[in-house]
Amino acid sequence: MIAVVDFVLRLALWLVLAPLLPGLITKVKAWVAGRRGPPVLQLYYDLARLWRKSVVLSTLASPGFVAGPAVAWVAVLGAALLMPLGPAGGALSFKGDVLLLIYLLAVARFCTAWAALETGSAFEGMGAAREVSYAVLAEAALITAVLSLSVQTGSVTLATMLVPAAGAGAVLLAAGLFTVLLAENCRVPFDDPTTHLELTMIHEAMVLDHSGPPFAVILHGASLKLLLFALLLCQAVLPLGGLTPPVAAAVLAAGVLVVTVGVGLVESLLARLAFRRVPLLLTTAFLFCLFALLLAWRGGAV
Amino acid sequence: MLAGGCLATGVVVGPRLARTWIGLTVTAAVAALGAAAVVLAGGTDWEWRSGFAVAGEPLHARLDAMSAIFLALVAVVGGASAVYSRGYWSDEGYPDSAPRGRRWLSAMVLAMVWVLLASNGLHFLIGWELFTVSAYFLVTLDRGERDARAAGWLYLAASHLGTLCLFAFFGLLAARTGSWELGPMRENTALAPLFWLALAGFAVKGGVFPAHVWLPSAHANAPSHVSALMSGVAIKMGIYGLVRFSGWLPVPAAAPWVVIGLGAVSAVLGIAFALVQNDLKRLLAYCSVENVGIILVGLGAAMLAATHGDGPWGRLALAGALLHVWNHGLAKSLLFFGAGSVLHATGTREITRLGGLWRAMPRTAGLFALGAVAICGLPPLNGFVGEWLVYLGLFDGATAGGRPAWGVAPAAIALATAGALALATFVKASAVVFLGAPRTKLAMDAHESGPWLWGPMLALAGLCATIGLAPFFFWPLVARAAGAWRPSAMAVEPLAPVATLGLANVVLALFFVGAAAWLWRRVHAEGPRPAPTWDCGYAAPTPRMQYTGGSFGGIAATWFSWALQIERTVHRPRGPFPVSASRVERVPESVLEWVVAPVAGLVMRASAAVRRLQHGRLQFYIVYLVAGLAGLGLLVLLEGNP
Repeated sequence: MIAVVDFVLRLALWLVLAPLLPGLITKVKAWVAGRRGPPVLQLYYDLARLWRKSVVLSTLASPGFVAGPAVAWVAVLGAALLMPLGPAGGALSFKGDVLLLIYLLAVARFCTAWAALETGSAFEGMGAAREVSYAVLAEAALITAVLSLSVQTGSVTLATMLVPAAGAGAVLLAAGLFTVLLAENCRVPFDDPTTHLELTMIHEAMVLDHSGPPFAVILHGASLKLLLFALLLCQAVLPLGGLTPPVAAAVLAAGVLVVTVGVGLVESLLARLAFRRVPLLLTTAFLFCLFALLLAWRGGAV
Repeated sequence: MLAGGCLATGVVVGPRLARTWIGLTVTAAVAALGAAAVVLAGGTDWEWRSGFAVAGEPLHARLDAMSAIFLALVAVVGGASAVYSRGYWSDEGYPDSAPRGRRWLSAMVLAMVWVLLASNGLHFLIGWELFTVSAYFLVTLDRGERDARAAGWLYLAASHLGTLCLFAFFGLLAARTGSWELGPMRENTALAPLFWLALAGFAVKGGVFPAHVWLPSAHANAPSHVSALMSGVAIKMGIYGLVRFSGWLPVPAAAPWVVIGLGAVSAVLGIAFALVQNDLKRLLAYCSVENVGIILVGLGAAMLAATHGDGPWGRLALAGALLHVWNHGLAKSLLFFGAGSVLHATGTREITRLGGLWRAMPRTAGLFALGAVAICGLPPLNGFVGEWLVYLGLFDGATAGGRPAWGVAPAAIALATAGALALATFVKASAVVFLGAPRTKLAMDAHESGPWLWGPMLALAGLCATIGLAPFFFWPLVARAAGAWRPSAMAVEPLAPVATLGLANVVLALFFVGAAAWLWRRVHAEGPRPAPTWDCGYAAPTPRMQYTGGSFGGIAATWFSWALQIERTVHRPRGPFPVSASRVERVPESVLEWVVAPVAGLVMRASAAVRRLQHGRLQFYIVYLVAGLAGLGLLVLLEGNP
């Protein structure tokens, strides 16, 4: 019974809180620019509006065009449920769950790219090509980060991996994971979520032909993914294990807030990179994670 | 237990009558599968000795858990290929070569079973040679095709280079042990250097990266049911040899590092080459190089663990690698069958000329997509379970620390990179072929393939899904096989929570289907408005404006340009009214064209120089003879005197 309540609460928490983050980022950007900006809850309104709308379907699209976003959304949600929430742990915890989490994100990528290519549009092809290519470097960085946490704690289970602090490599790991967060969630400097020029976009270019409920599902999935990465970053770096549960939860929430504001500040202060430079930045993120791994090794060996 | 015997008779009898032949082959496959299952589940090995001597050696067959894993794969894919060939290479379409194809298919499957059962070095070699040669005749089934003949020739030459190493290996082994009998002989450390010969020989067959040169063209130009058999099963025989003899023989200290390194290189470069291919079957062939790499990483990790304190993580990685042998065999055969159906329906393998096939061939498109998800190692299908086990082994090895960590941690990163590249490759392969608008008339006139073609595909897809959703049924089997590698007290079973993963996979699969259905109903509740694809206001879009495979893989291809060396010929449009413009890209077979071809050229030139000695003039031959005799006499004198 308690397990069921726990599960439902957790699900509700993820589903309800996730769309808050993009709203916060937009607000931060507006503040920095000296504007008032749209309300923090704007994404909720957008989702509700999109859900009520009907759909324009490309004549070329197969059933995968609709199934893709749905499967991707479930995959991200599944990954989210595996992610421990500080003292509350994850909905399901087992050895190797971190690998399932990474591969569920890959499932989401597969489905989004698949759905993008359904319509035979060159723009969407361009977006999908960029998404899957940059993900190669991002995934290498992510697995290196996980490997370093794993070496640090001697465990391959998320719940125990994320409890202690990341040790000497914390700063490196934070830098690496933050860069991966920006890349995976298509934020500046990798992609600009607000742009309307198709040739320069990644994620937005992939979803050009989606409308109505499928588009709502895509947007909600994107916000889930952002929250997921923010939580991963905070828990990887902050030593939550030593705190009492309420304090740990508060610290975690504050951490996510800081990351969100950080993303907003980065978007306000940086311009989008030229596409040729993107691999360079991602390789830097990979190197950060690699050095964190080496530090974790030294820590274990000495 | 005598099901193996049934297979032998079944496979030999039926090259004449197509129907009887399929029935016999399927019966034999079921019998072999049963034998493998009994050994894997029951845990007792099957051994059979006979006084009857072949080539002077008494017959000795043995089926233990390790060979049973491979036998099961041979049975499943062999049976599926036989059924598929009925629709794909039928007597009506190919009255000349279809009966020949049946005969050689039977011979090849029989030879592979023979190799798996042989417990005598000489018999192993005989079976190996038979298997190689029958595969050659299958590749060149379509004798009229120039490409097929060239591919077959390359395959035969490369395979025989490998077989040469194996002749040396088995010959030296027999010379040092005094018997052709095979079995565990790990205490005889003098045998260790022989492992290098085995590695060279089996790596050629397995298509490990620098030795893969024959693989892409042979797999691409063979008929698709043969490609499936070769890519799914035949290259696994190379893996079988490596796993078998790394378990039975002592290995040199450097061998684990070499194996895991070769595995990592194969995985990353194999899939990088796959990403840039424009030929659908060649793409699949290169992807096999990647998957062999993944399997070798698991094997290398097991060997590393064995030489460094026998940590249980090595067994975990090996069990994952063995499961991946199955997973890759099933998924790759499924994909080759899918590619065969596309070829059958459109007459082309070129990705750039296809597109939009889902409308004409919905079954093939769906099954191909499932195979793509499986081979990318994505949950909830089988590919993920195998890769997950390999990863767990590597992670446990990295956390265990010590010297092996320097091998397994980079291997884990290489696997992740290869995994992400595989995703890009298969999004490209399936989307450019099946989605969007047809790019040429060929693709427009496509038709769905018949039940002989999609039936075997459905069966393989079902197996992929079953292993993914119920891994706990298969885990004890591969764990037992991993235990049979080198007898050890170490049990791997409690190390991996396979049941939990299976549960997660089932829940995920249910929710995937549920969410898709739910959104589908929501979309169709109000009747969606059909419209052309949004094209930024452009008035006259054509199918040729779609993203092609080349442009899709272009970004990642630049990162690997040092290995790929793509050749581009560009004719830019000139003037205000350009008449023509073109851009042609060709992906060379780097290793073949820049390493093998120059070496082969040198050999040919040396041979040509030697040939000048042979000119047909009798006087000079007599001079050679006299000189030779004089030389020999001199040698004897020098030997005898001191």
